[in-house]
Amino acid sequence: MRIAPQPGERIDRRKPFTFEYDGAKITGFEGDTIGSALYAAGRRVFSRSFKYHRPRGLLCCSGDCPNCMMTVDGVPNVRLCVEPVRDGAVVRAQNVLGSLDRDLLSITDKIGGPFTPVGFYYRTMIRPRRLWPLYEKFLRNVAGLGKIGENGTHRRYDTEHRRVDVLVIGGGRAGREAAARAEGDVLLVDEHGGGGALKGRALGIYEGGLVPVDAGDVLYRFRAERIVVATGGIEQPLVFPGNDLVGVMLPNGVRRLTRDWSIKPGERAVVVTADDAGLEAAGDLRAVGTEVARVVDLRSERIVQLAAVGKRGRLSAVLVDGEAVDCDVLVMSGGRQPAYSLLAQAGARVEYEPRRGIFVPTELPENVEAVGSAAGDLEGAAVPAASYDGGDGKCFVCICEDVTEKDVKRALAEGFDSIELAKRYTTATMGPCQGRLCHLQSIRMLARETETDEAAIGTTTARPPWGPVELGLLAGRHYEAMKRSPLHFRHEEAGATMMWTGAWRRPFAYGDPAAEVRAVHESLGVIDVSTLGKIIVEGPDAAELLERLYPNRFADLAVGRIRYGVLTTDGGRIMDDGTVARLGDDLFYVTTTSTGSESVCEWFEWWNAVWGYDAEIVNVTGALAAVNLAGPQAREALGALTDADVSNDALKYLDAKEITVAGVPCLALRIGFVGELGYELHCAASAGEHLWDALVARGAVPFGLEPQRVLRLEKAHVIVGQDTDSESNLLSAGMPWIVKEKPDFVGKWAVELVEERGIRERLVGFTMDGGLLPPEGAQVVENGKSTGRVTSSRVSEQVGKVIGLAWVRPERADDGTRLSIRIAGADHPATVTLAPFYDAEGAKLRS
Amino acid sequence: MKDIFRVSRMWRPRGELKKRYDVVVIGGGSHGLATAYYLAKNHGVKDVAVLEKSYIGSGASGRNTTIIRSNYRTPEGAAFYSRSVKLYEQLSADLDFNLMFSQHGHLTLAHSERAMVTMQERAEVNQLLGIDSRVVYPEEIARLCPQINLGPRQTWPIQGALYHAPGGIIRHDAVVWGLARGADRAGVEIHPYTEVTGIERTSGRATAVETNRGRVEADVVVSAVAGWSTLVCGLAGVRLPITTHILQAFVTEPVKPFLDVIIVSAQMHVYVSQTDRGEFLIGAEIEPYTTYKSIGTFPFLEYSARHTLELFPQLERLRVLRTWTGLCDLSPDYSPILGRTEVENFHVSAGWGTYGFKAAPIVGTTLAKLVATGETPDLIAPFALERFHTDELVSELAAAAVSH
Ligand SMILES: Cc1cc2nc3c(=O)[nH]c(=O)nc-3n(C[C@H](O)[C@H](O)[C@H](O)COP(=O)(O)OP(=O)(O)OC[C@H]3O[C@@H](n4cnc5c(N)ncnc54)[C@H](O)[C@@H]3O)c2cc1C
Ligand code: FES
Repeated sequence: MRIAPQPGERIDRRKPFTFEYDGAKITGFEGDTIGSALYAAGRRVFSRSFKYHRPRGLLCCSGDCPNCMMTVDGVPNVRLCVEPVRDGAVVRAQNVLGSLDRDLLSITDKIGGPFTPVGFYYRTMIRPRRLWPLYEKFLRNVAGLGKIGENGTHRRYDTEHRRVDVLVIGGGRAGREAAARAEGDVLLVDEHGGGGALKGRALGIYEGGLVPVDAGDVLYRFRAERIVVATGGIEQPLVFPGNDLVGVMLPNGVRRLTRDWSIKPGERAVVVTADDAGLEAAGDLRAVGTEVARVVDLRSERIVQLAAVGKRGRLSAVLVDGEAVDCDVLVMSGGRQPAYSLLAQAGARVEYEPRRGIFVPTELPENVEAVGSAAGDLEGAAVPAASYDGGDGKCFVCICEDVTEKDVKRALAEGFDSIELAKRYTTATMGPCQGRLCHLQSIRMLARETETDEAAIGTTTARPPWGPVELGLLAGRHYEAMKRSPLHFRHEEAGATMMWTGAWRRPFAYGDPAAEVRAVHESLGVIDVSTLGKIIVEGPDAAELLERLYPNRFADLAVGRIRYGVLTTDGGRIMDDGTVARLGDDLFYVTTTSTGSESVCEWFEWWNAVWGYDAEIVNVTGALAAVNLAGPQAREALGALTDADVSNDALKYLDAKEITVAGVPCLALRIGFVGELGYELHCAASAGEHLWDALVARGAVPFGLEPQRVLRLEKAHVIVGQDTDSESNLLSAGMPWIVKEKPDFVGKWAVELVEERGIRERLVGFTMDGGLLPPEGAQVVENGKSTGRVTSSRVSEQVGKVIGLAWVRPERADDGTRLSIRIAGADHPATVTLAPFYDAEGAKLRS
Repeated sequence: MKDIFRVSRMWRPRGELKKRYDVVVIGGGSHGLATAYYLAKNHGVKDVAVLEKSYIGSGASGRNTTIIRSNYRTPEGAAFYSRSVKLYEQLSADLDFNLMFSQHGHLTLAHSERAMVTMQERAEVNQLLGIDSRVVYPEEIARLCPQINLGPRQTWPIQGALYHAPGGIIRHDAVVWGLARGADRAGVEIHPYTEVTGIERTSGRATAVETNRGRVEADVVVSAVAGWSTLVCGLAGVRLPITTHILQAFVTEPVKPFLDVIIVSAQMHVYVSQTDRGEFLIGAEIEPYTTYKSIGTFPFLEYSARHTLELFPQLERLRVLRTWTGLCDLSPDYSPILGRTEVENFHVSAGWGTYGFKAAPIVGTTLAKLVATGETPDLIAPFALERFHTDELVSELAAAAVSH
């Protein structure tokens, strides 16, 4: 099938490659694609069609149509016409039952015409409903093309960001000229590379001049000042019976076979063309020794009948106005349609030009330019008929989706009379070529059938990507942000069980959580709290800013003192909580929850800007390490590591003080989330491990998140986001004491509204009467109906009970009220307890 | 069976607009058409016009990822959506049109302890209402979806999931067309390419709508325009606490059956299903900014692809074929705004965010009842617009965001 070497061929016959196709060894040359090598080896049927399983052969050789899709090395839907040959590749046919030449499912072609009209699935298999899953299973199995491999391929992908002054998309003549003309930093990309172009396919033009380019295993993200679109024109098929037979090709298919790969496509050919491309193909065919039996130039010859007939799906003759011409190749060329898709995505309008029968882009957005065929610079083509008659073979409008002329007519007759409805009903244009080969034809046909014109029908929206793109390439290399505390490796060394909390990895416990709880109650524990958000607010208006952000007072906070604060949204919903320490007249140190640091920082900045205050807001979360040293022995241990006076008088409950601990300058905050005497020590991240080691050496037992949760629950301390949700307000969450009389704060109106109308639910503590632990999320029920929910629950050794927090109706929120909690389908009694379960007066914290 | 050979029109060609209708429904999406259909079917109210500015189903109804489920968080929400799923189960037969509703099951993945608690809470609420919904752990996930990557090397290891067996997907266009056909056959007039440009109000009542094809009077006006709700309700002087955002989705090239269940990961902002055509249908979270312009973004494709591959690394070489964008009307509590407004005869269906398609039949039946009888059905009382004045929100935040 190969002809003798010829000048200009793209293959290097000295470099053979061998791959496997359905068990046989096939050899091609460098420059070949798997498709061309198979064609040279005599293979003509490359796939079976989507719906009717009709044999299909090479058509476009541009990587557009689905006709040559096979599975290569386990990757489905590979377009062989553009897939380079390589040694050892394993190529398999797909979507066949049997083989490509004898596909049992092609029965759908024989009976499928009359039995499966367009949209048949909407009208059948409705009753009885229980059979639908069976029908559906069958439908699912016959649909789809290739099969996903079991293990994936683990290709390596990269993403590169680049900036250029001018990006030219398309390396044809117009594109190359535009690139040569352009000034500054110019880059040319082309799907096929060559001529100094970067080989890659532009996927779209997005806002801000972003043009992602698919270059195989690299995704380039270009940002360009100016974009020149030179994507050329797309060869259009003609619509006539048998237009999908194996042997019917577009001019480019012939050009590539003959010129690039030096293959003789067949013995005898017919050409039907609306433009010069078909005539050129005729020349190419003759050059390789294919007889060209008949050329129909639609510009000079009016034909009414055109049909291709075949045997077993392969072309054997063409009928032109009653005259039958035997042939095994038919070149059809319906002229070219400007490839305007990228332009339309960028915002260009697309207009129909009746004279040339094509859609052309107009009103280009700023900074985008179109040149060459893409701009509509196409001359000398006839406008072919919407379809040609000539036989009873299937006449395909959309080859990808097996949509026939009859289907389109039927859709119209049923009332799907706009391009958008017809598209969705017939699925024309929704196949793997994304309408490149059928969009224009569908519009023409609708125009003819509705007796309007193409302009009235209009186009469908152009959507990225311009060409199918691998998920792996879009994903790029996989990096997912993970946050580690400065003490992370200490926890790993200590054998902690690590868990995710938001983006943070944190120790769940180091061993037995109960033992860690005990250590804190009885002696001394230490926990890494570096994940807390830490924000510095400084400036003349810092105090005023906080005063207006929080419902409680901060302007009157004394230097060196700390206050607990809860932030609410403008709707009065609880948003975050933490402590605020005043370190100077104009200097505050704010902590937030572990997940809240970014959002609180943004929140502060937003209001700072809105109110026009003069305050600097700096998120120092990542810069600092923090630990909480807690337990009856905390003072003693701290005292041993510092020269500072840490007596209860010098460092009272809710005092903040800068001291040096084990040689590390620290900010010591005396607060008590876990209910025992405790100090939070904040220091430079780099000194965190040293501080931690010193504390552990002094006998502090590391404790993890789980024991901390038990400890805080014993104090009935709320965890925002766990015990509260997006609707919780301060009054219902049992924190009315935090709301202070003042002229304004964010969410004030909402608090007043709730005050006026009363709360609808209330967060309370409870103890289980029995020993069963309700899962967090369990429902509080009355008469089988949900009236509340458990947000936290734990077994507390210290309290000797199962304790928890729950939202209940206000009528059920008094101390001692009996509740029913549903656990695994049965209701279990519980009792409301409003005071903290442990050290209700807080004596331990102050001691 | 013989029916499939007969070419029968789905609906009458668009006719002239009359001067007046008993009911004018603005919006030819699933909600507008369902309302019209049930008005005619359940209440005999047939003098109804559906006005649609483009083709029917051109809004979110023709762009959504068609997930239908009822495992919501609040008792109000779960009861409401549960009714809707029941109606959907019967709808193919009612409409005599195969909507291809496939209840293959729905898994909402939990990648953290916190998420597990949320799943537990939803399961508990659902079970009290008789909804098939429970927490499952990795062993069972592996059985329900053998393809999913449960390996520990994942960035966000899967700790468990909420499993909802009745959850499924449906053919969205079929829902729109089936309802349109049903409404048309019952006498409702459907007017595509008819845009409402003004709403006349006289003494607290909406008396007529202005369109690009002239003025139309009506006794009752229903707005069912989802992403355009703030604009259309604005014409009637009704302000809604809604912001409009875009939501994007994409499909891949079709492949043979690989995935039966629907997989949703809120933490990773991604959800994945495979349609009967064999395409993977993948969606994400709304974009954070507000806009009425349906313009897609590239980062969406990148992060959705990344997260899809975390769950299904086997899909690495599968190709994305088409992306699209739709509008979502987000309410502050992620629950809909349904029923009466301060304009006496102007009713609204809005606030559907990323989850309204599953509600079409229940919206249709309840709004039709409201229009026909003047009474607000109990099922939708919690979703009244008034709740934003009385501050009685119905927070679905944990169930509705991302999860569709
Ligand atoms: C990408 C995406 C994925 C989604 N996934 C899901 C999902 O999986 N499950 C789910 O349940 N929901 C999902 N949703 C949400 C769901 O699609 C919508 O909530 C639902 O379709 C709303 O239906 P509708 O009929 O109210 O609105 P629409 O279908 O948007 O219909 C409103 C109609 O009103 C028309 N209109 C607007 N203004 C005017 C005017 N002035 N005059 C006349 N007509 C007008 C529009 O053209 C439009 O056709 C998703 C949404 C998107 C965008
Ligand atoms: S021919 Fe490819 S989508 Fe129609």
